[in-house]
Amino acid sequence: MNGEMTTRAALRRLFTEIPGLGRGLLLTAGLAMLGTGLQVAIPVVVQLIIDIDILGGDKVDVASAVRRGGLAVLAMVVASFARRSATFRLSRLSAAALAELRIKVFAHLHRLSALHVQAERRGALVARVTSDIYRIQDFMEWGGMGIMIGVSQVVLAVAAMLVYRWQLAVLVVLGVTIYGLALLVFQRILGRAHDRVRERVADSMSALGESITGLPTVRAYGAEGPTLHRVRSAVDAQFRAEFKTYSLGSALFSSAEVFAGGLTAAVVGVGILLGPDSGLTAGGLIAFLFLVNLLVQPVQTLVETLDTAQAAGAGMRKVIGVLDTPVDLADPVDGAGLPDRPLDVAVRDLSFAYPTGGTVLQDVSVSIAPGRRVAVVGQTGSGKTTFAKLVVRLLDPSTGVVEIGGIPVDQVRFGSLRARVGYVPQEGFLFDTSVAENIRYGKPGVGDDGIRLAFADLGLTEWVEQLPDGIHTQVGEGGSQLSAGERQLVALTRAWMSQPDLLVLDEATSAVDPALEVSLRRAIDRLISGRTSITIAHRLSTAEASDEVLVFDHGRLVERGHHRDLVAAGGVYSSMHHDWMAGTRT
Amino acid sequence: MGGDEDVASAIVSDAPRLTNLAADGARLIGRFVRAHPVSFAIAVFGSFNFAAAIVVSALVVGRITDDVIVPVLDGGEPIDGRLRGAVIALALIALWKAIGIVIRRSGATWMQGRTQADLRTRLIEHLLGLELSWIRRQSTGDLLAVSDSDAGQSTYVLGPFPFASGAFMLLIGSIVIVFLIDPLLGVITGVGLITKVVVDITGAWRTFARFEGVQVRRGETSAVAHESIDGALTVKALGREDHEVERFAEVSLRLRDELIEIARRFTLYDAVQDALPPLTTVAVLVVGASRIDVGAMSAGDLATIAYLLSLIAFPLRLIGFVLWEVSGSLAAYRRVEQVLQVDDSVRYGALATAGAAGAAGLASDGSLTFGFDDDVVLSDIDIDIEPGETVAIVGPTGSGKSTLVTLFARLWDPTAGTIRLDGRDLRDFARSALAGEVAFVGQDVFLFDDTVRGNISFGVDASDHDVIEAAKLAAAHDFITELPDGYATRLGERGTSLSGGQRQRIALARALVRRPRLLILDDATSAVDPSIETGILVRLKESAIPSTVVLVAYRRSSIALADRVVYLEDGKVLGQGTHDELVASVPGYARLIRAYEEDAAEREAAR
Repeated sequence: MNGEMTTRAALRRLFTEIPGLGRGLLLTAGLAMLGTGLQVAIPVVVQLIIDIDILGGDKVDVASAVRRGGLAVLAMVVASFARRSATFRLSRLSAAALAELRIKVFAHLHRLSALHVQAERRGALVARVTSDIYRIQDFMEWGGMGIMIGVSQVVLAVAAMLVYRWQLAVLVVLGVTIYGLALLVFQRILGRAHDRVRERVADSMSALGESITGLPTVRAYGAEGPTLHRVRSAVDAQFRAEFKTYSLGSALFSSAEVFAGGLTAAVVGVGILLGPDSGLTAGGLIAFLFLVNLLVQPVQTLVETLDTAQAAGAGMRKVIGVLDTPVDLADPVDGAGLPDRPLDVAVRDLSFAYPTGGTVLQDVSVSIAPGRRVAVVGQTGSGKTTFAKLVVRLLDPSTGVVEIGGIPVDQVRFGSLRARVGYVPQEGFLFDTSVAENIRYGKPGVGDDGIRLAFADLGLTEWVEQLPDGIHTQVGEGGSQLSAGERQLVALTRAWMSQPDLLVLDEATSAVDPALEVSLRRAIDRLISGRTSITIAHRLSTAEASDEVLVFDHGRLVERGHHRDLVAAGGVYSSMHHDWMAGTRT
Repeated sequence: MGGDEDVASAIVSDAPRLTNLAADGARLIGRFVRAHPVSFAIAVFGSFNFAAAIVVSALVVGRITDDVIVPVLDGGEPIDGRLRGAVIALALIALWKAIGIVIRRSGATWMQGRTQADLRTRLIEHLLGLELSWIRRQSTGDLLAVSDSDAGQSTYVLGPFPFASGAFMLLIGSIVIVFLIDPLLGVITGVGLITKVVVDITGAWRTFARFEGVQVRRGETSAVAHESIDGALTVKALGREDHEVERFAEVSLRLRDELIEIARRFTLYDAVQDALPPLTTVAVLVVGASRIDVGAMSAGDLATIAYLLSLIAFPLRLIGFVLWEVSGSLAAYRRVEQVLQVDDSVRYGALATAGAAGAAGLASDGSLTFGFDDDVVLSDIDIDIEPGETVAIVGPTGSGKSTLVTLFARLWDPTAGTIRLDGRDLRDFARSALAGEVAFVGQDVFLFDDTVRGNISFGVDASDHDVIEAAKLAAAHDFITELPDGYATRLGERGTSLSGGQRQRIALARALVRRPRLLILDDATSAVDPSIETGILVRLKESAIPSTVVLVAYRRSSIALADRVVYLEDGKVLGQGTHDELVASVPGYARLIRAYEEDAAEREAAR
């Protein structure tokens, strides 16, 4: 939607997103301008002292030079403070503004279903709140200062030149403009060369990554030789590409020196040829030599800044892409609270299709009375997990309605919905902290005793006590210190903490040890007893123990009823059951 | 979630002393320079030329002032041939300076890039030789960071270092030149410039430690973003979005404060060092006026000094900049060195072959033991596998099955005891010789960024025919031919993605193409449909590949294909024999088999 957005438009958008960004910018620019006076003052002082105090009379006027010098020092101290203040103000502003933007984007991300629907995009989404923003910040801090100081230095230097001798000023400005344009062309050539370097860098990173990640495989096949050879050639290719590109870069960079030198020579030549009759003084011409250098350097900086602006613009465009993605699962304005009684679920004509096409669920209607224990079965891809997510509003349906306690879910306040309706996904995610903190995530503020009690209620005291540090055991990144089954135990206990009235649970499919299996089943039984529950069953024994079974097939609800009756009916469920019985008796 | 607010401040207080930094930095640079002395010499030569050109250009400006500018513009003398000389001199000096820059940058880029490439290659070469048991204990992310960003950052100091050496010469040269013009002005210039450099170095010193803090904060911010985005479903299901935003805001604002604090310090030092050259210039002009008054020097000399001071300001910054870089490079190189110094390389023998044909036999003496530190994983393993046998290793999670077969392939070495292949100690085989005898296929398959064919023939010269035969045997040929480019389809990180079962079959083909005499399958077909798995194992037995097979099995159906079962529990062999014998005599085995059967049946039924 913003593919065509220009860098300028993207950066302008930055100012609308963070209104604080423009605050005090004019003052900062003014201070930067004042600060630049530090550099430009030197040629002026040189001219004045040489022309008036040294060459002005028969004798050198030392006292006047001292007065002038004193004034210059005073001006420089002021300028120096102004410059420091400008730089600091800009750094502070960009740090604060970008932190604000980062938080804003992050908050928006959490309101998008893409975050939990499209797993493969997660890495890119993390980049939106980290590296993309860093790039914008780099630009604002260094680029912003570069522009402010560069522009004011150019303006002041040109003004000083015009005062001294307009003909020379025109010569210098013309020269610098041509040089600036040439730099822009060079930059483009260099940009293309940099693209090639980036490709080589990506290749060598991938070779390095492979040799490390695939190291056990390399060892198992004794392929150290070819692997090392591959790394070496990728790394060497990167080196060659970099050396070529940077050499080109240094040739371009050094052209500034040739140019500045040529311009200086031209200024001396033309200045002398203009002669004293034109009003040009010796001091004035010497001042010009300084001013030329003061002009060439910011032009170079400004051209480089343009380059970082492109990168920042690219980052900004991606960030805007996130901010412009409409919130698809919005907390309703003036949403209702769920009624304070056991909850029933009514689903009418529910269908779900991904925007990219592919109908997952079609015309499902079912009602579940309060306190019922319902199992959902079906093959992979039958739509049973999508059904569960629609019920708890982790997705919104394409058509149809889900009502909980008589209220359409999209009209229920999130606060009420998440407090009363529990959802335990197949792979319960654990945060990299202690078991206790992970449980507390389900109910902030609960004490350690409350957490131990919860484990006891679910019959898990023995399990949790055998962990190295009991409930204070660290679970590692993504819960890696625990097995899949153990992670599920923590997720179940976390769901138990909020004592939901409706529980939707996606049974784990991964194999667990027989002993853990017993704990899991007991915990699930206790968790769902006494409340309305919908369990996505991966084991028929779960279905057998439920009040009612919903059988999904190719996105449709094809059978429903008690296990007994369904087995007798001789349909889809019956044949599933038959396979099961046959299987256990091998 | 737990905050570690103290990390950044700890780093700040742990900052090494400046003298140590300089000494360590010199050692690091010295090490790199010794490896590439020529390019370093070239870079420094270029840098010295640049410095000399600056000094000469200032001298020429002074000379032009005295000989051309003042006589013509102030004295009203006619223009003579000296103007042409002046113009040509100025242009030539600019060219000299530019050539100096090109030489310096080329040398420095070469040296930095070469050093970086060498470091990376050396790291990978070293890692490839290390014990897998050591590798397993490292986080892959850390090792990647070392070979990627740390190896890069280690060399960053090499970029500005030659320039800084030139700048240092420039500093000395300038002070000497000014001193020769006029001793008093020489002292003023010396004090002004040296103060500038000292302020700059102090600023860099005070800021860089904080800069490490910023890196820590950035890491924190990414970690929270990563975790929160990975766990988005749970966050949403528990209605904790606001909490996550708060958590992110907290680290984000901490990063902001850190950046602001850096800016506060940095800009202060920066402003002072920035003002020093102009202030020195003013002092020189004022004092210079009085020196001209007493006839000690000319207006041109004054122009020389002022011009020199205006040109020298930027190069001098490089001296402080090197300090910035050296601290970062040292920290990064320390991490690189830590890996390079790990003295845990696998030691190989000289045997080039087991000296036998046909299927291989494998035996351990009864004292075979393996453990990490105090944690004993396997003890007193006594196994004797006959050539041509198919043996299933069975046991509950954590019983040591995988570890045992890992020892068989010598991916790890036992703590005590010996494993013999056809009667020869595994440790006597030469580096790649064992891979010719034994093929190991694990559960997690790593596919390289290469074609299907390249992934199968990985590391050996295999004909197309051999590759296809192996793929057929591994039940992979059919799906491979259906891929967009068949055997030429690119796989890996940037290629076509395959299902878990397909990946495992590619890995199996990769093992079979080597015609191993001992094939080890560590749950290598877990994602393959049981009926396909059975087909593979049956065909393997009938094939022309004379192989002994050891497989870690989780399925009743794969156990059924084994001639013999070894049952492990808690790192000990509790029973060996046929399936029926074990069911009858080992209760733990019988229980486990029942659990597998039920689980398989339920899974099958609920599909």
